[in-house]
Amino acid sequence: MGNIVRITLKGIFRDRVFQGILVTALVFPLIPSIATLSMRQVTELSLTLSLSLISFILLLLSVFLGGTSLWKDIERRYTYSVLGLPLARSGYLLGRFGGTAVFLLLAAFVLGVAAALVVICTSGMYPPDRPVVWANVALCILFDAMKYILIVASAFLFSSLSTSFFLPIFGTIALFLAGNVTQQVYDYIHSTAGSTLSPLVRHTASGLYYVLPNLSAFNLKVNAIYGIPVSVSGLLLTACYFVIYTMALLTLSVLIFSRRELR
Amino acid sequence: MRKTVLFLILSLLSYLFLIVPFAGYMRSKPIVEKLGYVPTVAVLKAASADQKELMCALLVSKVLMYFGGLLDKQKNELSISPDYPAMSRMIHGSVQLDPYNMDAYYFAQAILVWDVGKVDIANNLLNYGMRYRTWDWYLPFFAGFNYAYFLKDYPSAARYYRRAGELTGSDLFKSLAGRYMQESGRTDLALAYLYAMEKGEKNPAIKKSFRTRIKAFQEVRRIEVARDKYRETSGSLPATVDALVREGLLSPPPVDPYGGRFFLEQDGRISTTSKFAFATREKEGEKNKGQGER
Repeated sequence: MGNIVRITLKGIFRDRVFQGILVTALVFPLIPSIATLSMRQVTELSLTLSLSLISFILLLLSVFLGGTSLWKDIERRYTYSVLGLPLARSGYLLGRFGGTAVFLLLAAFVLGVAAALVVICTSGMYPPDRPVVWANVALCILFDAMKYILIVASAFLFSSLSTSFFLPIFGTIALFLAGNVTQQVYDYIHSTAGSTLSPLVRHTASGLYYVLPNLSAFNLKVNAIYGIPVSVSGLLLTACYFVIYTMALLTLSVLIFSRRELR
Repeated sequence: MRKTVLFLILSLLSYLFLIVPFAGYMRSKPIVEKLGYVPTVAVLKAASADQKELMCALLVSKVLMYFGGLLDKQKNELSISPDYPAMSRMIHGSVQLDPYNMDAYYFAQAILVWDVGKVDIANNLLNYGMRYRTWDWYLPFFAGFNYAYFLKDYPSAARYYRRAGELTGSDLFKSLAGRYMQESGRTDLALAYLYAMEKGEKNPAIKKSFRTRIKAFQEVRRIEVARDKYRETSGSLPATVDALVREGLLSPPPVDPYGGRFFLEQDGRISTTSKFAFATREKEGEKNKGQGER
């Protein structure tokens, strides 16, 4: 499995994905000047823009790397030769996932350093009312990376289900959008305004709330931007949620992929 | 190959021909149209996924650029009435996406309170912000000013100033409420507030807006001084502002930078037909109606 992780990472670098990230990261030096448009919160705006850019890049990486990794191998018939080796299908799938996840962490780290430089530069020119809480910024980027690794796991599940390119890509995007609103929908149906909805809608929405990934838990942007304290127990719960949910998605993917006929 | 090159040259030439009129059209596009349509907050919340803070910042900057663009283009005379209700809706929507965004509260206080005059709505917005920005003394300071100046609810004003004082640890705010509680001190209260706001402002459009307002209130102060002199000497209130000019108490004659005309209320207070805001279509209508009745 270690070999597959290494090969996956090498493949990603060979495809010049990292250079692609660096080109996108060229937007970072523009952030301080864009942030000066703010009337009262220049540093906060530069943090907002930096963290949003990181999220956006990680989203693209997770959807495209996660959604195409297995599909590409099957399409190019690499799986024939790889699975002919004494290697379990589960090892192959988990290795591919591991390589993609490690790359996402690496990208998050590099982009995080770029964001830190941008914020140091802006806060030097326009000192914020409240000092930047760097631990919150680091936690925000880490939890963002975790969120997108979970998205990669769901892309692998879709990839193990379908031979087409479309289900992994569009399925993952749909899951990402749904995962960000589940909490909002749940809060709404349990509010007084939501009590007018039919019981069927409310029960379906409640059911989906527990099945779909709750991605809003991973969003610590507000804590990072405005220096609002984070709840340690909440973070631990979210980290456990990430591990268990990702594990469940991968187990399901392995189960489906192991039974799949590859022609 | 030659065909492809020819086609490429043709495309480039067509692009060059098109880009000039296209850019011209975009530049001259009506400003009001540029504020555009924004979906409801519920839709925005769902669509912005994990980028709610960015979406909020974008909405606020859209409003700011729209307003700045209007001021720039019209050189302080707004022939196109700003779409204040849409601006207000956008600001209120944006803080539902990110209730911590200070720019939204600040813009609402700096521009919308004065120009739209919906002080109660503004105070609700500030109270909403105070629930989140618990460390920020600006919000209670703004609310205190609104209560004192616009609503003349001095106990509430004192409560908010006290809160601002607690947050900054400064006694200044605690004394502010007491210092300006007299009707005669209203203009001074407004001027002190506006000077403080203008000094800390770096956005050119907002700064310009503050300066215009300061100019208007300085004129009011000048008329008040002349009115008091007149009352001292003649024992009664002057009938009109023009009377003060004729008596030589007010030179040069006062000019309202908002394009209105100053007049004396029956109780001696100074008002202006512009209501200290740039003319909008509705206000223009009201003004004409008001002048017709006078």
